[in-house]
Amino acid sequence: MSAIRSARRPKGRSLPIGRILLLGFFLVFVLLPLYWMFNTSIKPSDDYLAIPPVWFPAQPTLVHYEAALFAYRGLEGLINSLIISLAATILSALFGTLMAYSLARYNTGGQHLSFWVLSQRFLPPIGIVLPVFLIYRGIGLYDTHAGMIIAYTVFTLPVSVWMMFAYFRQMPKSMEEAALVDGCTRWQAFWSVAMPLAAPGIVAAAVFAFIACWTEFFFALVLTSRSAFTLPTVFRAFIGFQGAQYGEAAALAIVSLVPSIALGVLAQKHLVRGLTLGAVRG
Amino acid sequence: MATPLTVKRMHSAGAPPRLSRLAAWSERHFKWLLVAPAVVLILALSIYPLLFSLVVSFINYDFQVPGHAFVGLKNFERVVFDPVARWSLVLTAGLSGVSVAIEFVLGLAVALTMVRNFRGRGLIMSVLIVPLFISPVIVGQAWTLLLQRPFGPTNYILSQLLGQEVTIGWMTQSPWLYVSLIVADVWQWTPFMFVILLAGLTAIPPNLYEAAELDGVNSWQAFWAITFPHLGPMMLLALTFRLLDAIRMFDTIYIMTGGGPGTQTYTASYYLYTVGFTQFHLSQATAGSWLFLIFTAIVVAMLVRRLLRAEPV
Repeated sequence: MSAIRSARRPKGRSLPIGRILLLGFFLVFVLLPLYWMFNTSIKPSDDYLAIPPVWFPAQPTLVHYEAALFAYRGLEGLINSLIISLAATILSALFGTLMAYSLARYNTGGQHLSFWVLSQRFLPPIGIVLPVFLIYRGIGLYDTHAGMIIAYTVFTLPVSVWMMFAYFRQMPKSMEEAALVDGCTRWQAFWSVAMPLAAPGIVAAAVFAFIACWTEFFFALVLTSRSAFTLPTVFRAFIGFQGAQYGEAAALAIVSLVPSIALGVLAQKHLVRGLTLGAVRG
Repeated sequence: MATPLTVKRMHSAGAPPRLSRLAAWSERHFKWLLVAPAVVLILALSIYPLLFSLVVSFINYDFQVPGHAFVGLKNFERVVFDPVARWSLVLTAGLSGVSVAIEFVLGLAVALTMVRNFRGRGLIMSVLIVPLFISPVIVGQAWTLLLQRPFGPTNYILSQLLGQEVTIGWMTQSPWLYVSLIVADVWQWTPFMFVILLAGLTAIPPNLYEAAELDGVNSWQAFWAITFPHLGPMMLLALTFRLLDAIRMFDTIYIMTGGGPGTQTYTASYYLYTVGFTQFHLSQATAGSWLFLIFTAIVVAMLVRRLLRAEPV
């Protein structure tokens, strides 16, 4: 690290001021909207239009949280989101791992199959969501938990497959080969040897699948209505100018972003792999 | 433990394994059985819908017009000759192009400042990546809270800084509403560029810079001669991934402007959504989404395949 420092910044020229300014500016840029949202969520409605704006409410209140969770059915959305995201995450991580193992160890279907899965990641959702809406209405999956779980499983599968694909490829196969030589079946070699070794990778893939489901809006907007609606769709209630619902919107946003941020920051070691579908090792 | 292992060793030495017929069958088709659940799901919920929508786009499927008669290319014509559709495509290209460009430059700049280790780097890192884990809906909501008149503090802050009254309608006034949409996108996705480019930067061998320093190369020259070419593949990857997501832009528009005023902020996704789900011209929307899909597929075919093949793993 110090080598880079001296190489890139020849002695006598000190640029750290510029660096600090840039980082400082960017940190403020990142934190400002988050802080203002938090501030709005605990601010009494009387302070909304105060000039100058109130940055530190003198009398913080939780009324907006209460209204967002109960009057605007935020709690229901939260529970739906939790059920749907968890179920889809488990299915996606499981099926993704199975497929990735086959692709990595047996080169199943050659490059075509793996690129076919990858191409699904880049399909614009608008192309699928219309027909899925029609199909779901036809077979009774519209506005159901099951329908959303299936949709989110498929929606997160390409990332799960490719993350695990990359993970298995950089994992030595000697243990599995030894197991096979010892007479284990392929299933045994996979289930009792490879799976436990790949556990950290599976957890990371699951975390990213969960965040993707938790924050997804478009599918939920189209495929749910009054019963299986997820948390992000509740924000539709706050659109427009008609009112003083800023606090409610902010409160619900805070409730919703805490779990995904916590998970994301915990899994940040795997972030690069998650963002690039395993193409880049973090 | 000893006995089963011995038995297993005997099997592998030539004795036929005692597997039931089902087990033997599943062992033979092992690699395909592993692939099956994922493939079946993708076929059922992605490929089948796509084919179904292809059918729909050639027939009449409209909640306002009864019947499912074959109409040929009429649905496609409706989209192609709709000025709103064309505008939405232009806007999609413009917004995503500008957003991704800003994200790239800003992400690279921040990544360069973060290459070297310093006190508090870990903490700053954790803060900078936070936007990646937030729903775009909430990002739109957060910027609405900051920008919207009269509630948001933005105009007040600008007034103080500029010393004159600022009354910009950030969600209603062109061109400011485009600025708002771009700022929200930049806020959310600059960390994406930053994280990937930082990974690329840390992978450049430091001894290259040491050698350059011995040769008396200044830092600009070092950047163009060492950093830029080494970072090339990573830049291409980050730009491709980001661009393919940016052209789907929908959520922030839905929350921040609702496509308005009028149809000024219709992106391709937003246009197709409106045609399909508020006007219920479903066949016109599917025809349009197929056209959009073809655009995307061309980009994917050109960039992604080559990109991932070139990547040394």
